[in-house]
This record gives sequence, structure tokens and C-alpha cells, in this order.
Amino acid sequence: MEPKSCSGDGNPSRNLHPSKPLMAANFLRCLSRIQQTATNSSVGSRSRRIRRAAYASMAYSAGHRRAWSWALLRKLRCRRVRPVILPRRPRIARPQVVIEIDRAEVLRKLVPGGTGMDYCRLLEETADYIRCLATQVRLMQTVTDSISS
Amino acid sequence: MEKEGFWGQQWQATGAKLPPELNSGSAASDQLPQCFLNLNWKQPMAHDADFESALSSLVSSPCSNPPASADGSSIGELIGRLGGICNSNDISASSPYPSADASCYSTPLNSPPKLNLSVMDHRQQGRGGPPMPVNRVPGPQLGPFSAEPGFEDGAARLSCFAGRSSGSFAGQFGFLDPGNLSEASRSQCPKAGFGSCVGVGQSRSERPAHLEMKMRPKIDGSSTAEESEVGNGPEESSLSDRMTAEASSLRGITDNNSGKWKTATKRKGRRAPLSSSATNPPANMTEEESSDAKRCKTADRKGGAKNEVAKPKTEKNGHPGHREGKDNDHQPPEPPKDYIHVRARRGQATDAHSLAERVRREKISKRMKFLQDLVPGCNKVTGKAVMLDEIINYVQSLQRQIEFLSMKLATLNPQTDVSMENLLRKDIYQSRGPMPQPVFPAEIGTVLSYAHQPQTIALQSIVTSGLEAQFSLNSLQSSLRQSQSLQHATTDAYTDASSQLGGLWEDDLQNVAQTGFGQNHGQTHTGHLKIEL
Repeated sequence: MEPKSCSGDGNPSRNLHPSKPLMAANFLRCLSRIQQTATNSSVGSRSRRIRRAAYASMAYSAGHRRAWSWALLRKLRCRRVRPVILPRRPRIARPQVVIEIDRAEVLRKLVPGGTGMDYCRLLEETADYIRCLATQVRLMQTVTDSISS
Repeated sequence: MEKEGFWGQQWQATGAKLPPELNSGSAASDQLPQCFLNLNWKQPMAHDADFESALSSLVSSPCSNPPASADGSSIGELIGRLGGICNSNDISASSPYPSADASCYSTPLNSPPKLNLSVMDHRQQGRGGPPMPVNRVPGPQLGPFSAEPGFEDGAARLSCFAGRSSGSFAGQFGFLDPGNLSEASRSQCPKAGFGSCVGVGQSRSERPAHLEMKMRPKIDGSSTAEESEVGNGPEESSLSDRMTAEASSLRGITDNNSGKWKTATKRKGRRAPLSSSATNPPANMTEEESSDAKRCKTADRKGGAKNEVAKPKTEKNGHPGHREGKDNDHQPPEPPKDYIHVRARRGQATDAHSLAERVRREKISKRMKFLQDLVPGCNKVTGKAVMLDEIINYVQSLQRQIEFLSMKLATLNPQTDVSMENLLRKDIYQSRGPMPQPVFPAEIGTVLSYAHQPQTIALQSIVTSGLEAQFSLNSLQSSLRQSQSLQHATTDAYTDASSQLGGLWEDDLQNVAQTGFGQNHGQTHTGHLKIEL
């Protein structure tokens, strides 16, 4: 597991991604760029770009060691190209899955790059992805708060 | 092994479907028990353990088979096997296992010293058909069984087997009082084994009842005690393993009988023949033995967990002879099932699978715990399914939040410079707590290096805030060292920024730009920053 980010005693950043500053910098950079270059575009397109920037900065800060960041970066870089279909590993059906929805499959769809993983690795990637997502959300909230205030 | 081949021949016909099942280790159905029977027969002979395993297989297989149908045949087979096992030493190779039942019966009778077979015999025979569904089979076959000793051996083995497996066996067999068996079996393997064995043949439900009633008195008898003892050593381990997989109901039965069986097994010779026969089975057993240590323990732990898992474990326990430290009191936590999932012991393959599976499960549980910490509100949630649901919901909610925030950001359309500065400061101080600064240089460096854009104002703000943050930190140098790669770029950027900034900025800024990041120009800047915020 990645080391938790250094958090202050009173700072509940235990769940923050360790590369939060990097993420923040990346995101802000992208944000500023977007705001500068797309001032005349619609809100929707801008929001899409911002969202993509958010994911990109998230994936970039996470680095290439995580499968999800790697897959995300690939997807973002080739967004104009058809998404690469990763080789699917045969899913091992678990008893509960047989009867109900395959939660592992749902999770695989949610986490980028999760389609080609086994369950064990999927959980690991999910944990890291959740951490990064939470960090990104907090970052964006801070940005919006600071902007709106 | 002779025994293996010997048994195998017989089984080939019956266990046609077994091999695939065995190999696959699939859990199961009726077929498994049969497989178990077959396989065990091949292997067990080598030692008592083997014998026990065989017995267990015998027991288990009939148990798993639907009571109605399999009773007669199963019982007969069981008996036959018992006999075979008892006489394994004598028989060693050849006798074989005639048509599955008859031969078994015939052979065993010869050897064993004290055989409770007689007990069985006349119980079976006396009853004829109805009392025991199996009677029809045992009847003629029991004839050979008249040699009690052999049967006793078999019974002893079974008891041992049952005892060890802690009741799973007993549960299956339902042969004896579950409560009794469990106690006895747990304590010593042997006693109950016999009872359970017999019971097993019948399938735990009603049939065993018949046998129970009949056997119990016999089992309680002294003769059985010896037999039970016989199986103690080697059988224990193997049996225990097997037993864990099997129903725990047997446990009671075996426990009950174990005491009685003890005396019976004292009879000495039992062990010898059993061991000799046990020794026969050879290779497969040895393989199992190697994994026995692990299996034994794992079986105990996971006995109730899964049939599939347990089975390989139990089977692996085919230890040849002595169970040195094996825990014979495996108590299969899993409740008695209608059928026993028995996986054929096929050497290392199954072993590796089970082990790998266990390791994998532990890894998964570890990760789930970590995820539980990440996802808020999951502390009380137990169970993988619910946990996964929570995780999925959380991931979806986070992604939705990002979309929403991006929309919000898009609509806000803030002023770049102001936003940047504010954002940076707030982000630093709000999200990073007391130690934003150390990282700031890196961040700033990154920002400057990546965002090498003509956004003067933004850069200025960033730089300012960054520098100000830096100044207050004495550990800037350490953090700078960390981001050395960035430093070079940032230094340049700083130079540019400083040049751009011109004289607008404090002297500190220029100093910083000149000296790089490693300068703490004073704590005042920190206060300055705070005020700005």
C-alpha cells in the first residue's frame, strides 16, 4: 500500500493521497489553463475539460505504479482513439456472485483498468483509487470554495 | 502401490467419474464421496493413517450418497473396505478388492486380530435386510467378516478416523450418538471411528441410525476399544484431516465410542496389520503427508469453512505412520452435511491449490480491512458482499462529486490570478495542516516547471505564496532535496518569476530566487501569509 500522506496531528488527512501537493499543483495548472483558453466555450464543455483535467492530474500524481492511474492515463491520452480493451482475466465466480450481482464486475467497471485484474489486485487498486479520488474531491472543493469566496 | 493398484482396480469401474472430480476438486455432490472412497482406498493402505483415510472415505462416501440409494451398497462397501483395511497387511496386494464389496469383506477377515466384525457380522446378518438397508450387502459379505479382528481393525480405523476428524466423521455417519461420538472422537480418534465408519456406510440420516443401534452396543464392547486404539497413530492424522471435512455430527458419535474403542484397540496386533497395510499405499500418501502438517492445521481451522478446502486438507493428511504432532482433535467446525466434499488426493496439485487459496483469501481479507478504513461508515459493516456494495457506492459517489465540482468550477469561471493564489494558500493550509511547507517547494517547483506559461500574475501569486510558505520552514532543505529534480527546473522558473516580478516583491523573494529553495528567510513571512489568508 502506498504510504499515507504525512498528516498533521489534527489533520484528518489520513486518507489523503500522499502526493496531494503534486496533485494540487497539477490540477491548478490545468485549471488555470482551461480557464484561460476556454473562456468562450460552453459550461458543459469546460466542465468536461475540467473533469478530465482532474482525472489527469490525479492519475499523473499517482504515477505509473498503480494500475488504475496507468489505465486512466492511457485512456485520457487516447480518448480520441477507441479505448484499448485489456485482456480479460477469467473471472472466478464466488458463491455469492452466482446468485446475485457480480459486485466484483461492477467494481471493475468503476475502477479504471480493473477489467484485467484478479480480485485481490482489484481490491488493492480500489483502495488506492478511492484515496486519490477523495483527495481530488477535497482539492476541488477547496478550489471552488476559494474561488467562490 | 500395490494397495493402490489393488484398490484402484476395483474402483476404476465405480469411480469412473471420480478422477475428473478428484482432479478438479470440485465440491460436490454425491460423486465426491465416491471419489473419496475410491481414492482413499488406493492410498490409505500404507499406514494406519491411510487406513483411516480409507475408512473415512468409506464413511464419507456413503454418507454423502443419498441415504436411500446408497445405503445398502455403501454399507457393504464400507464393511468390505473395513475388512480390506484390516487385512490390508495380509492382503497387501492382491486380494483385492473384488467387486467392490465382496472382496473387501473377504479379505479383511483374515488378518486382524480382534475384529469387531463379528459384531458387525452378526448384527448385519442377524438383521437381514430390513434393519439395515445395507444388510443385503453385508450379509453375504459379512461372512468373510466373521473374522472379527479384521473388521475390528477396520472399525478401529474408522473410529480413529472418526475420532480424529473430530466428529465430522461422526456427524456424517450419524452412526453413534452424535454427542457421544464427538466427545470420544475428539479425545481419541479411534474409538468412534469404527462406529462412525459403519454409520457412514449408511449415510448419516436414518440408515446410520440402524447401524447405530446395532453397532453401538457392539462398539461399546470391549473389542472395539482395541480397534480404536489401533488406528490411533497414523490414522489419527489422516483421519483427522478427513474428518474435519466431514460432518461434525460424527464427532459426537466418535467421541462417544472412542472411549470404548480404546480398550479394543489395545489389542496389539491391530496396529501392526494396519500399519503394514497403511504402508502399502505409498506414494500418494507420502505426498499427502508432506502437506499434512499444513493440512492438519488448516483443516482444523478451516474445517468448517469450506468443504472444498477442507477436503484436500484432510486428504493430504494421509500420513503414513505416525502422527507426530498432529492434532488429532480436529473438530470440524462445519456442521454435518448431507454429503461430504472429498477431494481426491492427487499429490501436490491439490495441496498447492489449497495453500494458494488460503493465502489468497488472507490477502483479500487484508485488503478488505484496509478498504474498510478508507470508506467511511464501513466499520460496522461485516460481510464481503455488503462491504463491496459500500465500496462501490463510495467510488460512485466520489466520481459524481468530481463531476459536480468540475461543473461548478466551469461555471464559476474565476479570475485566474486570484484564484490561483487563494487556491494555493487555502489548499495548503486547509488540507495539509501544519506541514504544508515542506512539500510546497516541490509543488511550487512542479507548478513552475509544468506551468511554464505566461501567466505572470498566477505565477507570481504562486511563487509568492510558495515562497512565503517556504520561508517559515526550516525543513525546506530536506523537502527540497526530495524534489531535487524539480529544483533545477524551479530554480530556473524562480529566476524567471523573480525577473518577471521585478521589484514588486519583497526582497525575500529575490533572495529566495537567488539562493534557491533552501533559505528560510524568516518566520515573519509565515505570519504574513496567515494574515493574508
